[in-house]
Amino acid sequence: MQQTGSGRTLVDSRGSSCPGPITDLALAYRRSKRGDVIELWATDPGVKPDLQAWASKTRNEIVSIDDQGDKIVAVLKIVNR
Amino acid sequence: MTKAETALSADAGGATSGKVSIVAFSGTADKFIPLGVLAQAGAAMGMEVSVFVTGFALQAFTKVPHDLPFPAEFAAMAPELAKGMEAANVASWDVMLRQAKELGAKVYACSMMSGVMGLSREDFSDLVDDIVGAAAFLQQAEGGETFFI
Repeated sequence: MQQTGSGRTLVDSRGSSCPGPITDLALAYRRSKRGDVIELWATDPGVKPDLQAWASKTRNEIVSIDDQGDKIVAVLKIVNR
Repeated sequence: MTKAETALSADAGGATSGKVSIVAFSGTADKFIPLGVLAQAGAAMGMEVSVFVTGFALQAFTKVPHDLPFPAEFAAMAPELAKGMEAANVASWDVMLRQAKELGAKVYACSMMSGVMGLSREDFSDLVDDIVGAAAFLQQAEGGETFFI
């Protein structure tokens, strides 16, 4: 995990299987504050529905989920913190 | 404010929302995979996760844990499964459960079965938070999702 500027965190979960990516996201979320943006990279094929479930459950926003072939890039905005 | 709205506002700020309760009963290695996955996923979702360990599963929670056998009908597949898990970078059940606990999950040993198996507080590993009875677990689980594994 790395900070890529103020309020933006990159979480690299490539190669991690379910429930690794949403756990990495939860750990980043715990350190975040309202208004922050978390960018998650993952390769687990179930990550898209899992992220939608996570965002719905924690009431945060998915800005985008982009399947780039070699990885899925999701951008989430933390609005509930 | 409705009851639901009150509940929603109460957990704003990253506190828990919803409950997952898991009865870990089986003492075979295969059953410990969904135990770890569901506990970790529930905790990552911000849910209140409680694991009630009873029956043969208790043997995996002692300070000196027993080796978990595979059920006989799947034993032949065990080496291939272990290889696949390693290739897919899947953590072992205890690592997943520790991660779940890090995110707030609680693990309770069943008082009755602990007694039957001659296990007391000091016999259990640090994975176990407390020894409780069935009534305490049912009260904790009430109103949430419960899984029996």
